[in-house]
Amino acid sequence: MPSYRITVSPSKRAAGRFVYGVRRAIQKAFAEEQSKRGLTQTAIARALGIHRSVINRELRGKKDITLGRVAELAWAMGRKPHFDFLEPVERGGQNYDIAACVNADATSGTANIEIDDRASSDAS
Amino acid sequence: MTTLIELDQAGELFKLDPLLEANEQEWRMIYISPHLRNWFEEALPGLISVWKVEISPLQQVDALVEEFCSGTTLCYGPQFKPIQHIEGGIWELKTPDVRIFGWFRVRDCFVGWRGEHAEHVKTYDLYHGLAGETARFRDQLDLDEPKFIPGEDPNAVVSNYSFP
Repeated sequence: MPSYRITVSPSKRAAGRFVYGVRRAIQKAFAEEQSKRGLTQTAIARALGIHRSVINRELRGKKDITLGRVAELAWAMGRKPHFDFLEPVERGGQNYDIAACVNADATSGTANIEIDDRASSDAS
Repeated sequence: MTTLIELDQAGELFKLDPLLEANEQEWRMIYISPHLRNWFEEALPGLISVWKVEISPLQQVDALVEEFCSGTTLCYGPQFKPIQHIEGGIWELKTPDVRIFGWFRVRDCFVGWRGEHAEHVKTYDLYHGLAGETARFRDQLDLDEPKFIPGEDPNAVVSNYSFP
């Protein structure tokens, strides 16, 4: 019996996974800073001059985040966002034929964003 | 009595292919019921985000499936966790707009019975009812015992659950 795949267009799949991944990277950075120095959503909200509930909805995926807000959140956490368009790399042990996948997806690379823990000196 | 693989071969469950990236390994697995497969095909594509966010409920589920199956850390603190125990060994996989109800057959192997719009579940307080319905499906399934991991400890049902 062949396995079942959720039907999503390749471009929508790429978009969904990217947006989801960015939010998870922000959540991870927040959890690390919370654990390291007790950072709170209230402190982030205060640093950015917005209500805590806005930060909460953004972190939980219940409000869209602009690229600018990604940078603001990173700044408020004392972090620096890092953004790349990566070329797919073919390696041994991969799950499927990358060339076929790239053709099917009509994309030539993978976008990726991370929140580095390089503290910015002016972050509160 | 049968195994998950035999139920998959018999068309009573379906193994979900998470379409992982080329360099990712499937560390966790998801099987789905015919009911949930139907819901993925008939209902999920038409669901609209109540939060009006840019990724649709369908995209949210696809991304969650990829994250879950790739074995990455699932929980970043109590507020950011995509799995939640409900009762009686029934768990939900969560996105902002979707809830998927099921159980863990063994560690890192989730069996999903049905999906619902999160808003619908919350508005009508359906958690208890849907957990009971899921448990009945689990009990009726001709699956080798033990059919599920009991308890509510997320570390018992998934590896690499939480940060740090």
